[in-house]
Amino acid sequence: MHIVRQLGAMPGVIAAGEYAYHGDDFSFDGALTEEFVHIVSIMCRVNTLVAHMQSEVLDSFTGQTGLRPVQGWVVRGARLSFCAVGNYFAMVDNREGVLDDVVRILRARVGDLRSEGLPGLYARLGGDVHEALY
Amino acid sequence: MNLAVLLDLPGALAAFRFSEGGELAAHVVRDGTGITPLTLELLARSCVANLAIAGMEARGWEALTGQAAFQPLTGLSVIGLEWSVIAGRDAAVVVRNRDVSYEAAFAALRRIEGGA
Repeated sequence: MHIVRQLGAMPGVIAAGEYAYHGDDFSFDGALTEEFVHIVSIMCRVNTLVAHMQSEVLDSFTGQTGLRPVQGWVVRGARLSFCAVGNYFAMVDNREGVLDDVVRILRARVGDLRSEGLPGLYARLGGDVHEALY
Repeated sequence: MNLAVLLDLPGALAAFRFSEGGELAAHVVRDGTGITPLTLELLARSCVANLAIAGMEARGWEALTGQAAFQPLTGLSVIGLEWSVIAGRDAAVVVRNRDVSYEAAFAALRRIEGGA
């Protein structure tokens, strides 16, 4: 299942999408308009670059840290959260378990959990990764 | 502020408090992690900078869409290859990715916000 469709089908996910590191391409699933997702994709690109810059500066001053390279970021709002990993993003409800599941799926699909068998397998099958694993 | 609460989170390596200007105010580090005060000082400044940027984005987003669901922001996180830094408004915790729960960390940060 495509990552965006998989995330978009999860309860508590308001919208999910894919943005380009260069240029303006994007795709999405959920309750947003194209105009809004265009802005979201620019925001994702900028924030990801800022986080990369910060991790490079940190690493150059302090030596090896576990932050470099950056995989993504999360913003926690009052009722919604926004997360981006790789070139995928999701806007999620703050109900219990949603943010952790979405980030885990994204890390399993495009991040540091790709090489780990079970999280990767469950993330590809879809469904509640946390419940299946823990 | 009880930084020990943050260090009790699964996988926590270090916790720190920062001022509105980004200065490192207090910190605790788990032995053997190699995390230095300089690392935390730079992280504190990046937390404040990123909170300010995210606040601007949230304000603009809500004005544009009419969706009032982000403000006030309660925190943010940067997800590295092995660690994540999870920040609230005046404190943050560095957590090993293998054990991280972003929701638990944000909840702990809310509990100790303002020096509680």
